[in-house]
Amino acid sequence: MPKLRLREAGPALLFMVVLLTLTACGDTVYPNTTFTRFTDLNSSILSLWDRLLFWGTIVFVVVEAALIFTIIRYRKRPGGPEAKQIHGNAILEITWTAIPAIILVLIAVPTVKTIFQTQAPAPAGALKVQVIGHQWWWEFRYPELGIVTANELYVPVGRTVSFELTTKDVLHSFWFPAMGGKRDLITNRTNYMWFTPNADLGTQAWNGFCTEYCGSSHANMRIRLYTVQPDEFESWAKHQASPAVFNPLAPAAPPATPVANASNRRPAVPAVDTAPAQPSTGYVFPIEKLPAHVVPQTPIPAGLDFDDALLAGGDATRGATQGFMLGGCIGCHAINGVPGAVSNIGPNLTHVASRHTIASGLYKFDGPTLARWIKNARHMKPGVIMNTIGRGEYDPGMKMTVTAGLDDRQIADVVAYLMSLK
Amino acid sequence: MATIAAPTHAGHAEASSQNTGIWSWIATTDHKRIGTLYLWTALFFFLVGGLEAVLIRTQLMKPNMGFVSAETYNQLFTMHGTTMVFLAIMPLSAAFFNFLIPLQIGARDVAFPRLNAFSYWVYLLGGIFLTVPILFDVAPNGGWFGYAPLTTVQFSPGHNIDFWVIGLQVLGVSSLAAAFNFITTIINMRAPGMTLMRMPMFTWMSFVVQFLLVLAFPPITVALVFLLMDRFFGTTFYAIAAGADPLLWQHLFWVFGHPEVYILILPAFGLVSEVLPTFSKKPLFGYNVMVYSGIMIGFLGFGVWAHHMFAVGMGAVADSIFSMMTMLIAIPTGVKIFNWIATMWAGEVRFEVPMKFAIALIGMFTIGGISGVMHSSPPADLQQTDTYFIVAHFHYVLFGGSIMGIFAGIYHYYPKMTGRFMDTGLGNLHFWGNLIGMNLTFFPMHFSGLYGMPRRIYQYDSGQGWDLFNLMSTYGTYLIALSTLVFVWNFVRSRTRGAVAGNDPWGAGTLEWSIPSPPPEYNFAQLPEVTSRYPLWDLKDPSKTAGIAHSHADAMTITDAHAVPVHEETERFTAKELGIPMPLPTAKPLFTAVGLMTMFSGLLFLRNDLFAVAMTITIGGACMFIGGLYAWLTSPLE
Repeated sequence: MPKLRLREAGPALLFMVVLLTLTACGDTVYPNTTFTRFTDLNSSILSLWDRLLFWGTIVFVVVEAALIFTIIRYRKRPGGPEAKQIHGNAILEITWTAIPAIILVLIAVPTVKTIFQTQAPAPAGALKVQVIGHQWWWEFRYPELGIVTANELYVPVGRTVSFELTTKDVLHSFWFPAMGGKRDLITNRTNYMWFTPNADLGTQAWNGFCTEYCGSSHANMRIRLYTVQPDEFESWAKHQASPAVFNPLAPAAPPATPVANASNRRPAVPAVDTAPAQPSTGYVFPIEKLPAHVVPQTPIPAGLDFDDALLAGGDATRGATQGFMLGGCIGCHAINGVPGAVSNIGPNLTHVASRHTIASGLYKFDGPTLARWIKNARHMKPGVIMNTIGRGEYDPGMKMTVTAGLDDRQIADVVAYLMSLK
Repeated sequence: MATIAAPTHAGHAEASSQNTGIWSWIATTDHKRIGTLYLWTALFFFLVGGLEAVLIRTQLMKPNMGFVSAETYNQLFTMHGTTMVFLAIMPLSAAFFNFLIPLQIGARDVAFPRLNAFSYWVYLLGGIFLTVPILFDVAPNGGWFGYAPLTTVQFSPGHNIDFWVIGLQVLGVSSLAAAFNFITTIINMRAPGMTLMRMPMFTWMSFVVQFLLVLAFPPITVALVFLLMDRFFGTTFYAIAAGADPLLWQHLFWVFGHPEVYILILPAFGLVSEVLPTFSKKPLFGYNVMVYSGIMIGFLGFGVWAHHMFAVGMGAVADSIFSMMTMLIAIPTGVKIFNWIATMWAGEVRFEVPMKFAIALIGMFTIGGISGVMHSSPPADLQQTDTYFIVAHFHYVLFGGSIMGIFAGIYHYYPKMTGRFMDTGLGNLHFWGNLIGMNLTFFPMHFSGLYGMPRRIYQYDSGQGWDLFNLMSTYGTYLIALSTLVFVWNFVRSRTRGAVAGNDPWGAGTLEWSIPSPPPEYNFAQLPEVTSRYPLWDLKDPSKTAGIAHSHADAMTITDAHAVPVHEETERFTAKELGIPMPLPTAKPLFTAVGLMTMFSGLLFLRNDLFAVAMTITIGGACMFIGGLYAWLTSPLE
């Protein structure tokens, strides 16, 4: 009977699919897993999940077993028994109304408990972080520490961090799978969320994502979280709170010229006349400790060429005094300590070179990538607000070729300047 | 498979010889033809939505795939959702409402045949209006639930969202008109003795759905009118600069959106409730409880909308209440599952193709129901919402539930609609391809979601632990696509090549099987007098319904003096021969629908500063609409 074989093949194949999926879990690593107990928040959630999974599995097994048993046991067979004409059974029906109800009570009680526990006000002494969503990047402010940064978040382990979530434009949602549940950023509203990374968590890097669809580059609005030790955090925070230290990398560059230029032409240029820059740049999450899954892999789009040889000759001073102005960078980006560079449209660049990613976790932070980003950001990240700046580049947003803007050499200067903002 | 001799008049096509040609379809007011139009149109849009899914899955097959651009991808997922919900599943259900409700209750047509035609034409035009833009890369791109403020002009200056807001508004007119029509039909046009508690389960579930439509569409209409006025006339309902609260949209949308889920699933529940008893040779187990649980689901469905919004920060009290309401809805749904299994219990289960799909619905919908309970718990949901876990959940509900149920219905009623069977071998191929394909596609999504993959992302890096799951999902989608092609081939081919089916090819018990296949234009030559839930089984196999209460129709329910006891009708006449007045064919509903669509589409030009053009089109459309309505309402029905 070929019919019977087919009928048995189906469930067997189904079962194999499930099995394959399960075995798949064995050998691969899941760096963004939600099944962790790394914070108090996620511990509560996971305990609840375990209960849901337990009851869910039982219901699944019972229902599917009853279904499969019924269709096999009561399949029509030649010479088999006639159908028994049963139309209902009140006791049975009450039973299978009551049992699910009891299971739901067993789920509902801890659910409500966890809701109130996780949504209580954050404990005193929590580190305050303001999270501000932008299309398509994250602004982080530590109001008590005077820090403004973007896309990469440092939090000390063992201390509650309390987030205040707002957005400048559309809705976004703030989520680190390994740390706990997400919370939406709602325009004209403020949301709150808090969690405490375990004190024994160690210095580690984590991925986070925007999880509310927010337009073209929703997929490209990623976050990096660094859980660091309290002393590391302190060192990082102290440096991040300080204004930009303009520190030209090239020792060969004559320091006198830019100063003279600066004072002569316009006041709104970087203050380079301060005391010799301190080489200390505070704690930064060591790049060699970054696991592969937090290192961006987005390929740079074809056709976006840059003469990388120019980068070596980039003049940070010229980048600061000319490129940063001519390119219009100053119109959107703030650099603390640089008069005039106060705009909040794009990420704050005061210590941009202390970050490991650009474009909200989309690309690695390095000279060649940065140069291409400045040249044609819109080609690298769909819909991005940042203009295409490279002269002669096609701007996919404006649908025209840029005739003003910077040439590759000028961009190399700006890159050199930004790379100096440790 | 049983092949029963062809009906007296040799071919089924000749039966209504005066009603052929394209005009007969354009001007039709016959509920069966309108149902057929709905079916073909909705299947077409189902293929469009499926093609969009194939493109989406191809883009996600591998990390940083670069198959389509971000912008195109966003249009694809928006249109996939919008198409499947509004242009495929809802109208597929509508096809069955149209075709089956009058047949199941023993009526000769719906209450308002011309309004029925109008509903269809508005749906067709709205569907075209929504679908064509994707060919020009200007399709809606705000997601199927179109959250404000992303959909406001400030953040979506193009025409993309205009197509969406106008299209949905127009489709709402179609759904509402149809809903009022079916409510009136079911309340007023039942055959003598067809009391409410004797109605077939499909009609019952459809009845519930019509009330859901009537009550759920007003909130979305209000939400869409606000958005429409914001976009075209500069009001500020969602304008954030004017201090708008984006949660206004979310609440209005989900007050519609959650009942909408039941609008999509209850007709499928109804269909399998017809299929399971037929192929188990037993009446439906616990008919009363099935009715009450359907009503209960519909009722509770209005009290759970905010479970889509657990991440927006409503506060602990609101979260708790909506969580418990949501859990509550699992109870009547569970009862349905158990009653279906009990229907098959101790029966003679025949694995015909429709039965396979019906059984698959029970098995697959259960998985979707369990994951549904998992995110009824807000803290757990915060780890699941807007991830692929949710995508897995609602595809188990909508594909494993609605689509499986609708396919069960198509295979089951195809012989009634066309007079011919669909091919069993191809049907089996389609079934297994579909079942394995859907599990291969959607089961891994549970994992990719819980391992941190957000939904609606067009690219992702490798090494995130998602690669294998995505690859599996993509291959699963290809399998579904291939098996759907098998279905299409079977569906088209069987119309002329399928084995001829008689009145009652499956041995079913309800009224629609007592008349020839396909049914004559008048449906019932003599209105049947109904005395139980399975009148045909009373006739052919009384032992099956012996345990169910019977009572003859009384003076209160007999409204037609010509009613006769239920019998099988095998002769085929024309309505004229029988002296049955039938609604006249008319194209006025189509004309009126074109007017409505034109009126709305004029708005598009408003935002291009073409005021004169916009006004000309809109006023022209309005005149057409009003003129069409006037001509329609002043011309006689029969």
